[in-house]
Amino acid sequence: MTEATSIIALPAAPLHALEIWSNPQGVATRVHKALGFALPPMNRSATNASITLMRFEPTVWLAEGDVSVLADTLGDDGALTAIGGGIVRFRIAGPGWRELLLEGGVFDTSAAAFPVGATAATVIDHVGVRLFAESEDACVAYVPSSYAQSLHHFWDEALPLLGA
Amino acid sequence: MSGPTRIPTGEETIPFTFDGTTYKARPGDTLAAALLANGIGLVGRSFKYHRPRGIMTAGIEEPNALVTVGTGGRAEPNTRATDLFVYPGMVATSQNRWPSLSFDVASIFGLAAPALGAGFYYKTLFGPAKHWMRYEGFIRRAAGLGNAPTEPDPDNFSQRAGFCDVLVVGSGPAGLKAALEAAEAGQRVMLVEQDAAPGGSLLRDPDPAIDPAAIIARIKALGGEVLLRTTASGYWDHNFLTLTQRLAEPGEVPAHGFAQRLWHVRAGRVLLATGLIERPVPFANNDHPGVMLSQAVRSYVRRWGVLPGKRVVIATNNDDAYLTAQTLVEAGAEVVALLDARASGPAAPAGVTVYHDARPSSVAGRKHALRKVTAVIGGGEQSFDADLIAVSGGFVPVSHLHMQAGGKLNWSEEAQAFVPGETPQVCETIGAALSPPPAPAVAPAGKAKKSFVDFQNDVSLADIDLAWQEGYRSVEHLKRYTTLGMATDQGKTSNMVALSRLAEKQGVSVPQAGLTTFRPPFTPVTMGLLAGAGARNAGAHVRRIPLHALHEAHDPIWQPLGYWFRPRAYPVGGESLQQAALREARTVRTVAGLSDVSTLGKFEVSGPDAAALLELVCATNVGKLAIGRGRYTFMLREDGFVNDDGTVWRLAENRYLLTSSTGGADRMAHFISYVRNSLRPDLKCSVVNVQEHYAGIALAGPKARGILASLTGAEPPRHMGYAPGVLAGVPVHVLAASYSGERAFEIHVEATHADTVWHAIETATRAEGGAPYGLEAMELLRIEKGHVVVGGEVDGRSTPHDLGLGGMLNKAGGFIGAAGLTRPALSDPNRNNLVGLVSLDGPIPEGGMLIQRAGQSPQGHVTAAARRILEGGPIALALLQGGHRRHGEELIVTSPTRGEKARVRVTSPHFYDPAGERYRD
Repeated sequence: MTEATSIIALPAAPLHALEIWSNPQGVATRVHKALGFALPPMNRSATNASITLMRFEPTVWLAEGDVSVLADTLGDDGALTAIGGGIVRFRIAGPGWRELLLEGGVFDTSAAAFPVGATAATVIDHVGVRLFAESEDACVAYVPSSYAQSLHHFWDEALPLLGA
Repeated sequence: MSGPTRIPTGEETIPFTFDGTTYKARPGDTLAAALLANGIGLVGRSFKYHRPRGIMTAGIEEPNALVTVGTGGRAEPNTRATDLFVYPGMVATSQNRWPSLSFDVASIFGLAAPALGAGFYYKTLFGPAKHWMRYEGFIRRAAGLGNAPTEPDPDNFSQRAGFCDVLVVGSGPAGLKAALEAAEAGQRVMLVEQDAAPGGSLLRDPDPAIDPAAIIARIKALGGEVLLRTTASGYWDHNFLTLTQRLAEPGEVPAHGFAQRLWHVRAGRVLLATGLIERPVPFANNDHPGVMLSQAVRSYVRRWGVLPGKRVVIATNNDDAYLTAQTLVEAGAEVVALLDARASGPAAPAGVTVYHDARPSSVAGRKHALRKVTAVIGGGEQSFDADLIAVSGGFVPVSHLHMQAGGKLNWSEEAQAFVPGETPQVCETIGAALSPPPAPAVAPAGKAKKSFVDFQNDVSLADIDLAWQEGYRSVEHLKRYTTLGMATDQGKTSNMVALSRLAEKQGVSVPQAGLTTFRPPFTPVTMGLLAGAGARNAGAHVRRIPLHALHEAHDPIWQPLGYWFRPRAYPVGGESLQQAALREARTVRTVAGLSDVSTLGKFEVSGPDAAALLELVCATNVGKLAIGRGRYTFMLREDGFVNDDGTVWRLAENRYLLTSSTGGADRMAHFISYVRNSLRPDLKCSVVNVQEHYAGIALAGPKARGILASLTGAEPPRHMGYAPGVLAGVPVHVLAASYSGERAFEIHVEATHADTVWHAIETATRAEGGAPYGLEAMELLRIEKGHVVVGGEVDGRSTPHDLGLGGMLNKAGGFIGAAGLTRPALSDPNRNNLVGLVSLDGPIPEGGMLIQRAGQSPQGHVTAAARRILEGGPIALALLQGGHRRHGEELIVTSPTRGEKARVRVTSPHFYDPAGERYRD
């Protein structure tokens, strides 16, 4: 298991905070029409070929990808704010990713509690991170760039512990 | 030959050392088992009297056999030999003796025992202080256990989250059964066992009908998690438990670099199958090597093949010890007497003489074993030649976790023990802990002075009696006066014996006498485990600024700032910090410098109500800012004191950027979130923390404007103006703001492109004769300019008026803190006000107190000291009582702790360009 689990820093990607402050039903309808999927509920995600929306807060989604279509749907009901410069994405892949995220963690990463497509805003070894269960074999962690190197090192050191 | 032995079988393959001598152990041996197998009964010396101590138990409750294991930074003192499994190369050392375990000079303290009894420390400390000074060092050297290692611990410690439907603590018969049932019912099960092998009491008393290994395999096959060498050490609220898992034995080099793991487990239901602890029996010299608990003797015989003694006396008040007699006989020992305190008991094993109404009164012995046991039998006294006495004073349920969970205890008169009762959490005690076997109360025989109750802290029955005599009636007072139950074993073997004695003195029942509280941890926990991965970096990850690597190439002096590391100065040619900082500051004053300000707090506020939110958060008028303009601002707490300061910029019609201090960034993030989400969730706006999205580069100095213009191809905005731009092909925000007092700009760029922009600015700046500058130069510049810093002049007790910022307050009010500011005390003219200080003689000591004359109470203090950058001469900023109206007054700055003082004149805090002309083109 240890050899099969890896941590890879992904290239920088366009990331935005999408906040909706009014007319949520109307925005939801417009977004659904524009993107082809509904705004995901709390701790869930939704995606199409160009954008993934992940909901981490009651009124805030993390948008990864091309937001040009999304921006046109908001009107005066919400805003997009670029945040990608401050976030490093890590893909933690392999059968041990769920166990690895328990190291220094505080939330249940089991498949039942954190299924594919789920998202979580949590803390790992005192660092605030956002997680996206990308597939059965991988999770993407969105880490504040100031902590990225330290947390990567933390995970690397913990890899041999998987299964121990 | 007498004493402990084991017949070799060829399995003794694991070498280890004890006090420098090499021995061999079998796989699965605890250190205690291995020492006994090698004939060693003397293992340590007691805390106070340095009495010889051996091995009393076979489990975590061991009070006597404490050793230091491991070497260097990996050494772990005060480790129970009974809870330590031998590994190849283990180095174990006895403690608290000199020059050797066999001959300990300090054992002479035993003769002084009458003077060192209960309350010794209290009585000593109540005496004249000079007496304490005389013998403090001696006492500190003489008392104690093992020594903490002086080298850093080379190992890592893991902390991991765990979740389950059912957490079962203890893998004895009840725990195994419960865990298996839960797993078979489809529940998510965690089973934890502090031993290296599952089975609990089955390891001592096997049951052919229960196969622990098979059950464990079945639980695992059903998806359950089984953790051996794991102790449930803390039970907190909401079924949150902490578990301590040993990934390596103490002192052992861990396979993966991690010695231990602290589990944070959230359980739906907790089942405590924690079993019983056997109670010792008080009699004279009951702490001597060769006095063991009855079940421990059985464990050593059956589990480890060790015979702790060949001629054995058994003393009991219950039936269980009869099993020990049977076991010893089967193992070839001679049970010379079975002393049963009761009038009758079960049938004795063949060849064993049972004496009823019999209690041990004293023992005498050699180094590693006993020689004689004396007993009171009926009305007479009788002695037996014996090398071991196995005692059983009844059983105490292990209810520590139950109590930590907030559970109540019920008194069992039959067992003379507290048993777990109701609990407020989803928790249940199961198994033997619920029903300890009957064991009547027995009056101790023998001299109270040498009848030990708390073995680790050398507390005897006489000490309890003395405490009672001196008026300590409450069990809580008794505990603290005698130190009973306060050692590393937390009284696991002593509490009930002591309570019985206290109740007897009070003439009440044990539950009426009371009970002290069990608190976490159940067994000692290493500090490294609590620190986790942070043990190596002061408890926190280092926060790296986006340009960390780029700065590293300049070999700067780094400055920890909160969790951040920032360049403090960039010395060249062997410069000191002060020399480099002054050169850098002069460069800013005369040419231009660039500095990394990426750590500033930054919040992007957007939406139709963005201005309304900012008018609430900021104490200055920001709502009427024109697009492309900015303003210095500060934010107040609700009580009216300054919370933080920064700038606010209108980037577009409905979009603003608010900056705050580095140190206040996290605090402001919480504060703004509170305002947005709790106070005004109705506002149509979004607040996003973009602190890390943007890197910030400050460019300051008389040539800054020209440098920036050449890089962007556009005229930079005027002071407090904003303009978007492109620099080195990268989109940037240019904010014309100055902290240094020079014409200056903050260039904010998406952090992923920061190095490109920095490189371009640095190249252009150096071409003009400029250079990077660090925090130390920034400090010199801002002090000379009279700009406040959060954490210095803004110390949580400062109002805007105190800082000379009252004129900037939003006259319309409505901001958070406006009401707080109206409190009369905040308008007191004698409040500490921000002032400047000019030295009339030498350097001004930073942090020094401001006084008018010697002997006077301080009237203020120096918050920051520096020197004029170009002209020289010490200056400082200070907070001074009524300072605004004291300009021109002469005072003394004194720092008695450093032996420094200086005469100063109070001035305006603005030493440099007070009119702000250098900001403007």
